[in-house]
Amino acid sequence: MSSHTLRRLVFGAALLVSVQGPASATSGGVAETERVRAELLADVAAIAPGKTFRIGLDLAMARDWHTYWRNPGDSGMATEIALDLPEGWRTDGIAWPAPERLPYGTLVNFGFHDRVTLPVTVHPPRDLAPGSTITLRAEASWLVCKDVCIPEEAVFTLTLPVAATPVPARPETLARFTEAERRRPGVSPFAARIEDGGPRVALVLAGAGRAQATLREAVFFPHDWGVIDHSEIQTVRREGGDLRIEMVRGEAGLGERIAGVVTLAEAAPDGVLTTAFTIDAPVAPAPPPGTLLPFWQALLFAFAGGLILNLMPCVFPVLSMKALALVRLGAGARSEVRAHTLSYTAGVLVSFGLIAVALLALRAGGIAAGWGFQFQSPVFVALVAWVLFAVGLSLSGVFHVGGRLAGAGQSLAMRGGHGGSFFTGVLAVIVATPCTAPFMGAAVGFAVTAPPAVLVSVMVAMGLGLAAPYALIAAVPSLAGLMPRPGAWMERLKQAMAFPMYASAVWLVWVLSQQTGPSGVLVALAGMVLIAFAAWAWEATRDAGRGWRRTGTALAGAAAIAMLALVPRLEAALPTQTRCSEAAGPATAEPYSAARLAALRDDGRPVFVNMTAAWCITCLVNERTSLATGAVQRAFAERGIAYLSGDWTRQDPAITDYLRRFGRSGVPIYVFYPAGGGDPVVLPQILTEAIVLNALGAAGG
Amino acid sequence: MTMFSTTRRTLFAGAAAGAAFAAVGAPRLALAAPETGRPAPDFAATDTKGARVSLADMRGKVVVLEWTNHDCPFVRKHYGAGNMQDLQRLAASQGFTWISIISSAPGKQGHVSAEEANRLSETRDATPAHVILDPEGTIGRAYQARTTPQMFVIGTDGTLLYMGGIDSIASSRQADIETAVPYVRNAIEAIAAGRPVPEAVTRPYGCAVHYAT
Repeated sequence: MSSHTLRRLVFGAALLVSVQGPASATSGGVAETERVRAELLADVAAIAPGKTFRIGLDLAMARDWHTYWRNPGDSGMATEIALDLPEGWRTDGIAWPAPERLPYGTLVNFGFHDRVTLPVTVHPPRDLAPGSTITLRAEASWLVCKDVCIPEEAVFTLTLPVAATPVPARPETLARFTEAERRRPGVSPFAARIEDGGPRVALVLAGAGRAQATLREAVFFPHDWGVIDHSEIQTVRREGGDLRIEMVRGEAGLGERIAGVVTLAEAAPDGVLTTAFTIDAPVAPAPPPGTLLPFWQALLFAFAGGLILNLMPCVFPVLSMKALALVRLGAGARSEVRAHTLSYTAGVLVSFGLIAVALLALRAGGIAAGWGFQFQSPVFVALVAWVLFAVGLSLSGVFHVGGRLAGAGQSLAMRGGHGGSFFTGVLAVIVATPCTAPFMGAAVGFAVTAPPAVLVSVMVAMGLGLAAPYALIAAVPSLAGLMPRPGAWMERLKQAMAFPMYASAVWLVWVLSQQTGPSGVLVALAGMVLIAFAAWAWEATRDAGRGWRRTGTALAGAAAIAMLALVPRLEAALPTQTRCSEAAGPATAEPYSAARLAALRDDGRPVFVNMTAAWCITCLVNERTSLATGAVQRAFAERGIAYLSGDWTRQDPAITDYLRRFGRSGVPIYVFYPAGGGDPVVLPQILTEAIVLNALGAAGG
Repeated sequence: MTMFSTTRRTLFAGAAAGAAFAAVGAPRLALAAPETGRPAPDFAATDTKGARVSLADMRGKVVVLEWTNHDCPFVRKHYGAGNMQDLQRLAASQGFTWISIISSAPGKQGHVSAEEANRLSETRDATPAHVILDPEGTIGRAYQARTTPQMFVIGTDGTLLYMGGIDSIASSRQADIETAVPYVRNAIEAIAAGRPVPEAVTRPYGCAVHYAT
């Protein structure tokens, strides 16, 4: 767009400014440009003395244009409504609907597209005279942007008659306010805290981590600028029962509390549901002690782990063979010895470097695939337990793997010259993998969650540890005499190493029991039996005839497949009892059954049905923000409404039938049956207190 | 139970398991963001009059950076009211070097040729020491400039002393300039008097910088 046309556009916007509303009782007038149609609405056609009412700035934006939230994000400007009120009147600020992220290039703004109504509650004085009229004047200004930004403003006047009791506005006007109410963030159903982790900041929502597979997105919108980096990706992960939204710190510092809005998008069978709530969270330092290893300690662990690898039965013979060859070269060829040492060290380090790169690639792939949630997934925990158990069996000597791989490396390593030394280093790393020392685990665990540079440092430290004894012997050949001779002790050491593996596997099964209850434990242990069977069937037939060998391989394969077939059962094994205590709602909740519903209907009682599930975060938010409130509970009690709650956590077929009757394939669903057998009313999937009260009031009389 | 303690004990395990844990997502780390009290990102460019400008060569002088886009309503607010020109003169009177930077990409709002940029200075009575065209956004991204206007003040030793908005009221109305806290003016005056900058980091407001995508 040339700067000339642009200037004209800006000028055009400036011309718009003073739009005097037609003196209609319900309409505050309309201001329109090619980008925005703005209208000032009131939710009453007539006001009454002392009765609060709402006015709302309704902005309908042309395609691709947007306006801004109270914190506009990286650029932009919040919409403002300045009311000119007579003496004795009071207003609250704008009751902002929850915003959306609006990316523009590398920047991210917070605002609205398509259409938004910004309501303001007005408190008129008690001494107004019915029969008179009042006129409110509102100056509104907003910035509307696509790729360019245009500031617009308009002056609206709103003339309303005063009556003894308020007269509601037309239904289409009220619908705008209902929509604004629906999009308005509720009170947080979760206790929230901010963890200050230096450059990173995490918002932790206690108890929000149960939506396992259904949560699609969680976004935090701070009320104030500079708390977080608006444009940086927010990473979401589950931690136990909590949900963590991890962000990058902004420029302004955190202060003592951070307020803002959280939106959660959850995949439901009938589409994505977005709920929003406000949080005001205290800031506390992230808990570092005892959780993550400090950097230097991780390096030390890694180095020690590398050292210990030298004693492993698969590595030690390689090392001793090479070390002895080195000693044989004698003191006469010092430079030669040094060159061999360097080649060996290089071989080790290159291999560890490759492992580091592979870890980084896996990790990047994991992020791309949205694997942030998998950490606490029961499937993941079970798989790790099984891997550890299998490694333990291998160390115990139940079966042997990798013989051929190590053999290939062996032949390379047997070659003379620097190439031989290099490949000895590579071989040492390869053969070390199946018999890894426990030390290495903590270091790798630290590394995979650390930045790439740290991960690489840790792997290099481990490599240096593995290479150190050889280098030491090269430097001081007399040390070779102190080396223990290869022998039966190596096999004993290997066998002993199996026990930490078993211990870790047991511990993981315990973790799993916390996550899934007894059925998950059954699945995990059955998987272990299958692994043991596969290992035994494989190993027992290796030295037998060809037919037996084939049978053994087939049996082992079948056991492995059966084990993998167990995996989906873990997903289904959800906790059983987490729900009941939290099925918030009227205190008189009863479990749903078709018979109970029919009986209540026959008695002419009004009934409210809530179908919910433990993993449905939308359900939880609705229950806490809109069903458990005092006003709703009172309405239930006063009107004698029976409350039936059905738990679809395990996809109870009776509830599935009920859902199908309303054309739904999933929860939540809220249905109100008015007294006297009237037609049921289906409420929206996202509730507000007002929606519930209206439904009870309008339909129940 | 926290995730980290799980991690640690779980990984009392082995590299085989460790490789599996690689799947765990690690957060993306931000590029080093400009920070007050730390060296400002270096840059070198040719200005619209053909002179070579290098931040490293300006040690000993205070440098003011202004991100601009002449068609952005927020920039027009400050040029239209003469506020930006006043600040440029104030900076010059203290011996500070004022550099206006245009990071709009070709075809986007605010992108201009060197001649157009010079003519804009003339017609607006603006007196920046240099105007730099940054159509690729290299300098803008190094400073993580997000809006026009957005301001940075760099001390004689190359340390970033101020970053943020031009003043405190995020609007496009000229009338607000009078009542806003003039952050940049305050910063310039404080630095000239050898005092610390009172509010060193503030919220920049305005149009998004129209970077090349």
